[in-house]
Amino acid sequence: MQLLERGAELTALQVLFESAKSGAGRLALISGEAGIGKTSFVEHFAASAKNAQVLRGYCDPLLTPTPLGPLFDIAQQLGGKLSSVLDAETQRSLLFPTLLYQLQSIAPVVVLIFEDIHWADDATLDLIRYLARRLEALRVLFIVTCRDDEIPRLGAVRSLLGGFAGSSVFKRIQLSQLSLEAVQTLSSGIFDDAATLHARTAGNPLFVSEILQNIQVQIPESVRDIVLSRLTKLSPSARELVEVAAVIGSRIEPQILQGTLEVSANDVSESIDSGLLIVKDSVIAFRHELLREAILYSFDPWVRQNLYRRVLKVASLLLRDNRNDYAQIAHYAEGASDAEAVVRYGMAAANAAQKYGAHREAASHFKRVLKFSVNKTPETRGSLLMKYADECALVDDLNESCSAFQEAAEIWNSSGNPLKYGEAMTQLAWPMVRSGRDAEAQGACTLAIEILEPLGETQQLASAYRMAAHLKMLDRDRLAATHLGNKAIDLAERLGDNQTVAGGELAVGTAILVSGDLEGRKRLNRCIALAEQHHLESLKALAMLNIGTSYGELYMFADAERELAAGIAFARDSNLEHSEHYMTAWLALVRMYQGRWQEATDLALMTLAQTNLAIVSRIMALIALGRVRVRRGDPAALTALDEAYELAVQSGTLQRVAPVLAARAEFAWLEGEAATSAEEAHKAFKLAQSKRHSWHTGEFCYWLMCCEEMVVVPDWVAQPFALQIAGSWREAADSWSHLGCPYEQARALAEGDVGAQFEALKIFDALGAKPAAAMLRQTIRLSGTSHVPRGIRSTTRGNPFGLTKRELEILPLLTQGLTNGEIALKLRLSVKTVGHHVSSVLSKLAVTNRKAAGRIALQRGII
Amino acid sequence: MPRYLIERSFPDGLALEPNKQGCAAANSVIGTNAEQGVTWIHSYVTPNKKTTYCIYDGPSPEAIRKVATKNGLPVDKITEVRVLDPYFHM
Repeated sequence: MQLLERGAELTALQVLFESAKSGAGRLALISGEAGIGKTSFVEHFAASAKNAQVLRGYCDPLLTPTPLGPLFDIAQQLGGKLSSVLDAETQRSLLFPTLLYQLQSIAPVVVLIFEDIHWADDATLDLIRYLARRLEALRVLFIVTCRDDEIPRLGAVRSLLGGFAGSSVFKRIQLSQLSLEAVQTLSSGIFDDAATLHARTAGNPLFVSEILQNIQVQIPESVRDIVLSRLTKLSPSARELVEVAAVIGSRIEPQILQGTLEVSANDVSESIDSGLLIVKDSVIAFRHELLREAILYSFDPWVRQNLYRRVLKVASLLLRDNRNDYAQIAHYAEGASDAEAVVRYGMAAANAAQKYGAHREAASHFKRVLKFSVNKTPETRGSLLMKYADECALVDDLNESCSAFQEAAEIWNSSGNPLKYGEAMTQLAWPMVRSGRDAEAQGACTLAIEILEPLGETQQLASAYRMAAHLKMLDRDRLAATHLGNKAIDLAERLGDNQTVAGGELAVGTAILVSGDLEGRKRLNRCIALAEQHHLESLKALAMLNIGTSYGELYMFADAERELAAGIAFARDSNLEHSEHYMTAWLALVRMYQGRWQEATDLALMTLAQTNLAIVSRIMALIALGRVRVRRGDPAALTALDEAYELAVQSGTLQRVAPVLAARAEFAWLEGEAATSAEEAHKAFKLAQSKRHSWHTGEFCYWLMCCEEMVVVPDWVAQPFALQIAGSWREAADSWSHLGCPYEQARALAEGDVGAQFEALKIFDALGAKPAAAMLRQTIRLSGTSHVPRGIRSTTRGNPFGLTKRELEILPLLTQGLTNGEIALKLRLSVKTVGHHVSSVLSKLAVTNRKAAGRIALQRGII
Repeated sequence: MPRYLIERSFPDGLALEPNKQGCAAANSVIGTNAEQGVTWIHSYVTPNKKTTYCIYDGPSPEAIRKVATKNGLPVDKITEVRVLDPYFHM
């Protein structure tokens, strides 16, 4: 069929191709419904792409796709190093760079096509992301095709491509339905009623061409009807050929076909004449995947099962060890309902998927195997459940992971295997804590240690100590984390378990560092060295993440910025999305403190746009976004902070709750709601104190002081807050400036003399901090100093506000932070009388709170 | 999509004349807005042309600020608003 109405789309692709030729690679997504002509369009373009080497990879419609299917296809076409790396049992981390290297060496230009990525496995999606991020410097036009009406995997594909939206590397080319004019052109001389044809087919090119191939008086309802009517017209042997081919799959392996039935030349040509099959690269294939689907789902279930049995038998005989087709055979086995085969090939497929990092597929294989191993021994089912749970946790299916670990734990417990029981309980803690169920996770871990300790020195016990240390670290409990972590390290070193040693160092190092003790960095460096030595990439990323965010929690923003940038780059290179997202969210927070608000909101919004975002990353990004909105006086500040609070409360941990509540206290304060501000600060004040977190505690003390609450300020609160609370605004401002926090610096200066206040205004205005600037202007106006030159304090001693003698006596006391009751006691007055005097003082000074009264009194030299 | 009222100050007065240049300027603003999914509904201008009140639809306050920067327009305050129609209840 001719290619109609694709001119603009072809031109768009041509533009991308030109760019690729000049060395700036591009990614094109060709999308549209099934039958819209994506493959025809791409092939039409590929045929016209002069001097280009065209490489094609295909994703297959299996229940659980083969990991890295397209990469295997391409390796076959490219040959060379890639195929030998794939054949050898090498680490996955080598595969992508090898492909990249080979692509770089091809001149002058490559057209790389991945077909049907709506069926892609996780590892292939990782590969697409990996290549796309490096395209800018490659002579490669990377074309991916995707059905946009194929629901199941669309989420993952959408989130992948969403990451490239707006980037100059990426372009989406949407193919639309044919117009009535195009249908008229195609049907002219064949069929008169083009309008009906157009309406019935909705302009779907495949449907139109199927009808025109064999026009009847009545237009069939669907492609399926056409296919089935063609099928019934075939001779019995040709029909069997087509049916077996449909079961084999979208790519019909000739050996499997020939092994399953006698293939005669007559039957082949008959089915090609019928329009169902075509010959492509000298192999038989279906003309379109929709035709195959229509045939496959038209069978009686019993017939289908029988066909699958026949195909399974042949395929399993043909299987060679080093080939990547276990997923395909496991698929046949399930179709054949052959439990033994499902277990055997499903396990092999799961292991292969695990090896290539296709965790969603691995989980799906394990689930299938579990379904077919009801009668297996408790040991087999227990181990299977653990592996399944592991993979579920890796793809963030946390509820499923928790219940699988729980089921495994019950099996081990009742079958009298305490070692495995303890192991399952330890591992259960991780998905639990990640879904915000911290208390339950602690419980599971404590139980694991109780079960394992009587069994002597085991690797399982070392793991349980490590997990417990990690949970205590997350809870910012330095003492417990260090104690448990050191126990884990000692034991694991004796047992030669490097991963647990590295994990223990991570927990201990972070617990020490985040408490403000920079010695912790040494332990984290040891973790990184061990991780590098033993190829533990995700552990290394986690260590980098903890270093960066610990510096962030300590307000060491220059260090945080440097470490987070390095961590993000490493996580990105290693395809560790969750670490990358979390560090990006934290970098947004850092930018917020640094006064780089535009960057902060860009990073936060980019993180929030990810569809598979972990809750912890979401919380941190929302805080950054919400707090910038608060400081700008922008709308929707509370929307972001409400969601963040709701999510943070579920976890109950200080590191989530405290920054949300601090932002909420600031919001309420700027809105003039002192009572609400104090309320928010109180919600986590005790928790922050109990963890001796000097920065969070310092900030909460600060807000409570602002709101005229009486607080005992611990002597260990962070220095700039302590200085500010003590009224040493100049030193506090210097300290904030040293940390690189302009907003906080201005906030300290705003509490100073008029000169400092004008300095503060300048900073607030430059930042775009409207509410703080407006508040300060009001204060300056009310104090009557705005028109008076500097140096007012030394010249205007006296009593400009007409305060009474009693009021002059009370003023210094109330600015020292004494309550009405305390003042009453001191001056031997009743509390009620003091109350009257206090309100009179506030109204004469035209202020609403004691703090502001103190500030004015100081400025005007009244006290 | 939320609707926003944006207050802007033009100390030297807004120079947007009903002529070719004015049309081009408005069109360029509309084009930049579209990049961030922002739509300019309409604006009110004070008689001295020193303050404008603009009604915009946009995905977020950040998107409003981003296009304002790109368009070289000042932002004093962004407020989220809803339509209230006095004749709706009649």
